[in-house]
Amino acid sequence: MATTIDIIVPDLGDFDDVEVIEVLVKVGETVEREDGLITLETDKAAMDVPSPENGTVMEFTPIVGDKVSSGDVIGKLTIEVGDTVVITPAIQYVPSGDTTVLAASATADGKAPKIGGVRTLVVPDLGDFDDVEVIEVHVSNGDTINEEDPIVTLETDKAAMDVPAIVAGRIESVLVKVGDKVSQGSSLAIIEAVARAEQTAATVDAPVVEAPPLPAAAMQTPAAMKQQAAPRPSRDLPPVNETGFSRAHASPSVRKLARELGVDLAQVGGSGAKSRILHADVKAFVKAILTGKAAEAAGGGLPKTPSIDFSKFGEIESLPLTRIQKISGPRLQASWINLPHVTQHDLADITDLEARRRELKGPAKERGISLTPLAFIIKAVIAALREFPQLNSSLSDDGTSLVLKKYFHIGFAADTDQGLMVPVIRDADQKDVYELATGLAELSAAARDGKLKTPQLQGASFTISSLGGIGGTAFTPIVNAPEVAILGVSRSSMQPVWNGSGFKPRLMLPLSLSYDHRVVDGAAAVRFTTFLGQKLADVESLLRAIP
Amino acid sequence: MADHDAQLAVIGAGPGGYTAAFRAADLGMDVILVDRWDTLGGVCLNVGCIPSKALLHAARVIDDAEAMADHGIFFGKPRIDAVKLRGWKNEVVSKLTGGLTQLTKQRKIHVLHGNARFESANSLRLDSGETIAFEKCIIAAGSESIMLPGLPDDPRIIDSTGALELDSVPKRMLVVGGGIIGLEMACVYSALGTDVSVVELMDQLMPGTDKDLLRPFLKIVKPRYEAIMTSTNVTGMRPTVPGIEVSFEGKNAPEMGVYDRVLVAVGRRANGDQLDADKAGVAVGGRGVISVDKQMRTNVSNIFAIGDLVPGPMLAHKASHEAKVAAEVAAGEKSYFDARAIPSVAYTDPEIAWVGLTESEAKEQGVDYDMTKIPWAASGRALSLGRAEGFTKLLWDKKTERVLGGAIVGPNAGDLIAEIGLAIEMGADATDIGQTVHPHPTLSETVAFAAEAYAGTLTDLYMPKKR
Repeated sequence: MATTIDIIVPDLGDFDDVEVIEVLVKVGETVEREDGLITLETDKAAMDVPSPENGTVMEFTPIVGDKVSSGDVIGKLTIEVGDTVVITPAIQYVPSGDTTVLAASATADGKAPKIGGVRTLVVPDLGDFDDVEVIEVHVSNGDTINEEDPIVTLETDKAAMDVPAIVAGRIESVLVKVGDKVSQGSSLAIIEAVARAEQTAATVDAPVVEAPPLPAAAMQTPAAMKQQAAPRPSRDLPPVNETGFSRAHASPSVRKLARELGVDLAQVGGSGAKSRILHADVKAFVKAILTGKAAEAAGGGLPKTPSIDFSKFGEIESLPLTRIQKISGPRLQASWINLPHVTQHDLADITDLEARRRELKGPAKERGISLTPLAFIIKAVIAALREFPQLNSSLSDDGTSLVLKKYFHIGFAADTDQGLMVPVIRDADQKDVYELATGLAELSAAARDGKLKTPQLQGASFTISSLGGIGGTAFTPIVNAPEVAILGVSRSSMQPVWNGSGFKPRLMLPLSLSYDHRVVDGAAAVRFTTFLGQKLADVESLLRAIP
Repeated sequence: MADHDAQLAVIGAGPGGYTAAFRAADLGMDVILVDRWDTLGGVCLNVGCIPSKALLHAARVIDDAEAMADHGIFFGKPRIDAVKLRGWKNEVVSKLTGGLTQLTKQRKIHVLHGNARFESANSLRLDSGETIAFEKCIIAAGSESIMLPGLPDDPRIIDSTGALELDSVPKRMLVVGGGIIGLEMACVYSALGTDVSVVELMDQLMPGTDKDLLRPFLKIVKPRYEAIMTSTNVTGMRPTVPGIEVSFEGKNAPEMGVYDRVLVAVGRRANGDQLDADKAGVAVGGRGVISVDKQMRTNVSNIFAIGDLVPGPMLAHKASHEAKVAAEVAAGEKSYFDARAIPSVAYTDPEIAWVGLTESEAKEQGVDYDMTKIPWAASGRALSLGRAEGFTKLLWDKKTERVLGGAIVGPNAGDLIAEIGLAIEMGADATDIGQTVHPHPTLSETVAFAAEAYAGTLTDLYMPKKR
């Protein structure tokens, strides 16, 4: 069943008559919930008005230059409504960064929503994920649910998770269905909260309640509103370098605008005569940052590889990247661009280790444990990380200090049908080889089956990429930034090794340590691999039980 | 419960304080403005900028009339009615302070009188005992004249406030301190007929100012003043019946002089330490100065400070700009004090004005600059005013050709300097200024000439190409 709803300009805080600077959709276009419809520019920031629902734009009136205010109807949207879906009149716009819930009844007058009233349950902070698929809906209209009951199950690229209700009550309407894509802040359901939930609600509402009910404090109300209403805060703007700011070629009015938007003029290129920074440059800079094109705006864009129509040369097929590839790709690229990588290659003598492992393999198998070389390598790596703590670190955000980690969570690259995943063995230093082997097996299986949970993919302090099971003699792995080093392992091979009097056949394991040269210098890296080699040669030390 | 409460309390109703109060009120805050005096306007309106300018105008008229004698117009010696002159000056002042009272009423600002002291970071107490609870506070309590220590108590030893009182025109006056305030008053009294001597501890008048700016000024005043004693220390003052006996120590000074009046104008001191600011947790530095950030915030986030008691020159126009920033930030706006240049003006005759980088600063900071200077002898307007002693100079960034600073000496230099201030703020270069059509014949042309001189397009003077 289809129905038509009005597209209403959401609460813009105390802005009125805000100029439309960009129209992002036209009549007939299909939009998804949260898709930007128009871009508005207040004197404080640019913001998109998001679509309230998935649907098709039937009417759309704004043109660039129009002025709109909160509550203005700017168009109509035809939406598909399932039996269980009822559309609320106006979905409250939830600024990103807000926590978990905002009442649909929170009105434009800025009054705090009534505790126990009608509330919208929204998607909480999902970490880095956006556009997550709803794979299960656990509630339907009229259901009475308790706090913590799951509303929906979402599947992120890496894990499935339930979104629990943060208040108890009766579901008035469910706003999503299986297959919908949601992001942080997306509305899931309308709930008539029961009073029992008062405490929770009060906590959650804290920022809203801040607007004091005192009539005398007339001044604070707009200020508080402003804070709430500032949609999509310019969170990623870099801090202002005052010296650079004071020298920027910009007139006082441009400086004022930059201050309001929090822009460091030192980083803005001027498009005016003699490189004068204009108002438009400041706005474009903010817009670029908000849309994630900061590097390009700052003039740091990378040269593009040529775009070629391959079909000119023969038959082609287009295969979309998997979800995991789409996520891991930019991360790998970011690391590759940002970190000065150096790779140290070395060979470790694992003749004794392998002999011992083979002895232990059978009995372990009887206990259900597959004792792989990687378990031993992790053991040796832990010892080496203890010896060289700077390899178990990250560079601080401002690049002025090193964050040394006192924990040893080892990520390992797992090859799956969907792409590369890096599950993490937590507190690997507190596990013996058998426990490590068990953990490796479990996590690998979960990765293959796509059942890894988010925590199992987070927190690594060092990563190992072992391709030894497949082949290769050496490679240059990319550091899993913000870690500072990654150990690549290739296939071991029997090699003649000169022992001073003759060549002996020894099983040699190729190690390739890529590291962030800002943190690790070459000498430290080769000492690390040398130490690692010695540890791998001393299998008994690796087998010693954990104290 | 406090006797009064407000979102914003402003301490001091000078140009900083009243501007802050007005701006905040215009932004919707409810404001209490406290001042120790009954009339608003602070030092500037009551006993500073404004009354001194009235008297300086009188002085200028006297001097100009006298100067016309050389060109065929004789007025004779002026008869000076000090009482009437003082009356006119007071009228100017009360017109302005009355206007301020009107403006506070229109804005519904609650004005309280008395000395305010902090009780906490959210409350003030007046000396009357009344208390004020505030959410935010702007300290704009200004500065006071420094009196030399150990001076005898004698009505003939006065500060700038006393000098502006103009209770009589002394025969012989000593001005202690060759700064802007001392020289302005010297100017007034000299025109009124007093024999003026100026004594300054440092080796030049207006210490810190580019020396070339003083030359045209000295050329005019040296013949008129009894003595200008630089590098000279006042070692003692003794009141006697004929006058104040002042002893000096310095190579160009007599050992002793007797003066009917001694004006002490050796500087001003910030009032930041007069407010028990420590009770609010506000850190007050040496000499009563309160440090602030670029949003005029003190170390206590709801308390701001502006004007004479924060670092920087003690100038009304600096205070009023800082005031707007503080008020806007207090009202939740993201304002910053981002001005790049604050003009300074000595309203002497000739006036001396400068803005932005000075040559001494440029040398000190190792700035790679160029300088162009236009003597007013090349200005038709200056010649027709009979005032060819002045000049206009501009400093340029060699790389960008933008103007970094400027200075003007001559009548109305204080008005002319504003254009250079705008040019600095706008990042204008020599071509921008030179190609702005300036009206002819005006003194403002000299600014354009100086720019053209740098751009190499000047035709009103012959300047062999340097570059």
